[in-house]
Amino acid sequence: MNNYILMRDEFVLLGIILLLLVAEIMLIGKNRKIVAGIATGMFMVHTVIGFFPLPEGVLFGGSYRTTHLLHNMKNIMNVGVVILLLQTWTWAREEWSGRGRMSEFYLLIFSTLLGMYYMVSSGDFLMFFLGLELASLPIGGLAAYDLSKMRSAEAGAKFILMAGLASAISLFGISMIYGITGSLYFSEVAQNFHLSGLGTIGLLFFISGLAFKISLVPFHFWTPDVYEGAPVPVTSYLSVISKAAAIFALAIVLFLIGREFVSIWKPAIYWMAVLTMTVGNLFALRQKNMKRFLAFSSVAQAGFILLGILSFDQMGMAAVVYFAAIYIFSNLATFGVVQVISLKTGKENMDDYNGLYRTNPKLSLVMLLGLFSLAGIPPVAGFFGKFFLFMSAAAHGYYWLVIIAVINVTISLYYYLLVVRAMFLRKSDTPIEPFQAEMPVKIGLALTVVGILALGLYSPFYDFILNLSTNI
Amino acid sequence: MGAKIIFYLIAGLMILFSILSVSTTRVIRAAVYLLFVMILMAGFYFFVGYNFLAGVQLMVYSGGIAVLIVIAVLLVHNIDHRMERIPVVEYLWKGGVLLAGAILTILTINQFPFQRIAGTEDVSVSRIGTKLLSLGDGGYVLPFEVISILLLAVMVAAIIIAKGEVYKNEEK
Repeated sequence: MNNYILMRDEFVLLGIILLLLVAEIMLIGKNRKIVAGIATGMFMVHTVIGFFPLPEGVLFGGSYRTTHLLHNMKNIMNVGVVILLLQTWTWAREEWSGRGRMSEFYLLIFSTLLGMYYMVSSGDFLMFFLGLELASLPIGGLAAYDLSKMRSAEAGAKFILMAGLASAISLFGISMIYGITGSLYFSEVAQNFHLSGLGTIGLLFFISGLAFKISLVPFHFWTPDVYEGAPVPVTSYLSVISKAAAIFALAIVLFLIGREFVSIWKPAIYWMAVLTMTVGNLFALRQKNMKRFLAFSSVAQAGFILLGILSFDQMGMAAVVYFAAIYIFSNLATFGVVQVISLKTGKENMDDYNGLYRTNPKLSLVMLLGLFSLAGIPPVAGFFGKFFLFMSAAAHGYYWLVIIAVINVTISLYYYLLVVRAMFLRKSDTPIEPFQAEMPVKIGLALTVVGILALGLYSPFYDFILNLSTNI
Repeated sequence: MGAKIIFYLIAGLMILFSILSVSTTRVIRAAVYLLFVMILMAGFYFFVGYNFLAGVQLMVYSGGIAVLIVIAVLLVHNIDHRMERIPVVEYLWKGGVLLAGAILTILTINQFPFQRIAGTEDVSVSRIGTKLLSLGDGGYVLPFEVISILLLAVMVAAIIIAKGEVYKNEEK
C-alpha cells in the first residue's frame, strides 16, 4: 500500500509555498517585510524536520522513490538553501520589499527546490523531466528579477532560451530511449536497453541536456552571461544549489540505468570532464569581474565532480555527494562575500577588492577560507573532497584523467590566489569602506565557515555518506 | 500507396512551413507559419489514429497557443517591424551543421528495428483517463499534480517579468 509519509519533505515544502502565497495576499497594505521572516523561519523548520529519519521505498508504482542517500541529498540542499536565505536577508528584505516584489523571490526559490527534490527522487523519465523543468523554468524569472537593469533582463531571456533548448534536446533523447525500451521507468529501461546506434544517440542527447544544466563544457556558453547579469543571490543559487541538484540527478540516473552500457556514456563523461576542467580554468584566469570569475571557477569545479561519476561504484557516489556538500559551503562563502560587498558598495570587480583585509578583515577571512576550500588546500574541506574524487577515479585506472585534474588544480590555485593577493597584499587608494552587515547575513557567512572547517576536520561525515551510498 | 502519399504530403508541408517560420523576417508571418505547422501536426496524429491526441493538439496548440502568439505579436510589435536578415554565409554553415545532424539522426532512427509492444495499441479516451488518475504502476497522477505546481511557479515568474516594477509613491 502507498505510504505517503515517504513524500514528507515534498509535502512540507509545498505547504510552505502555498502558505507564502496566502501570506502575500493577506498582507496587502501591511508591512510585507514580515514575509521574509516567515519564509526563512518556515524553511528552517522544514530543514530541521528533514533531518528526522524516513523509511526507504517507492510510491506511485515506481514514479517516486526515496532511499536514505536521496533523503540526505535533499538535506544537503536544504542546508545550502538555509544559508543562502540568511545571506540574502538584507537583499530581499530591504531592497525588494519597497519595490513590491519580495515574497515572489522566496516562492520561486522554494518551487525550484521542490523541482530538484522530484528530480533527485524520480523513478522514471517523466518525473525526472518534470522535476528538471520545475527546477529550471522559474529561475528564468529569478534571473530577470532586477528588470530595471538591462543585463538582468538579458540574463533571464538567455536562461529561458537555453533551458528550453536543453530540455528539448533532453526530451528528444528520452523519446528515443522510450522508443527502444517501451518504458519510462528507470528499472525497466535498465533491463530492456540494448546497444544500438539509436540508443547511443538517445543517451548522449539525454546527457547533453543535463550537461547544459550543470554547464559542462561544451555546453557552458550561457553560464558567464547569466551569472553576471542575474542578481548575485540568484547567481549564488544557480551556481550552488541548482548545480548540485543537477549533478546529483545525473549521477543517480547514470547509476540506475547505466550499468549495462558504460561503453556509451563513460567516454562522453571522460572527455567532458577533461574539457570542463581545462576550459573552465583557462577562462577563469582572465576574468576581472568577480561574478564571471566565480562562474568559470564553478564550471571547472563541475569537471572535477565528473571523476566521481566515472568511477561508478559506491566510493565514487560517496565522493560525488561529499564533494557537492563541500562545494555548496565553499561557494556559498565566496558568493556570500561577493554579494554583501556588491549590495553595500556596488563593486564587483577584482581590483575593487584591493586592500579589503585592512578595511573588512572578517569578510576577507571568510573569502579566504572559501577560496582555499575551492582550490583544495589542506586542512579545509575542499582538499578532502578532491582527494576522495581523485582516489575513486584512480582506483579504476583513470590515471591520465587524475594527472590532468591535478594539473588543473594547480592552475586553479593560481587564480584563486590572485583574489587572495588582491585582498591581503595589494593596497588601494579607494578601498572598500568598513561596513557592518546585518545579523542574519553574518550568521549565514559564519555557517559557511563552520561547514568548511567541520566537513574537513570531522571525518565520520564521509563514512556516513559512504555507508548510505550502498543503496542509491 | 494512397496513405504514403498523404504521409509525405503532410510531412513535406510541415518541413516547409517550419523552415519558413524560422526564416521569415516578419514576426507575424512567423507566428502564422507556426500555426500551420501545429495544424499539420494534428493532421499527422489523425493519420496514425491518435484521435484524442489530435483533438488536444488542435484545441490547445492550434486553437490556443498559436492564436495567443499571434495576438501577443500584434499587441507588442508594430506590424511593420522586420527582423534583421541573417548573412548568407551564416545561413550556409549553420544550415549545413543542422542538416548533418538531422541526417545522422534520421539514419540511426531508420536503422533501428522497432518492435511493437503488446497492449500499447489501445489509446481510447477512457484508458487515457484511467491512466491519468491511477496511483499504481503506469499511472500518471503524480506527474499530473507536479505539472500543476510547475504551472503555478511559472505563472508567478511570468507575472514578475510582465508586471515590471512598482516604485514607491514618494518617488513620483
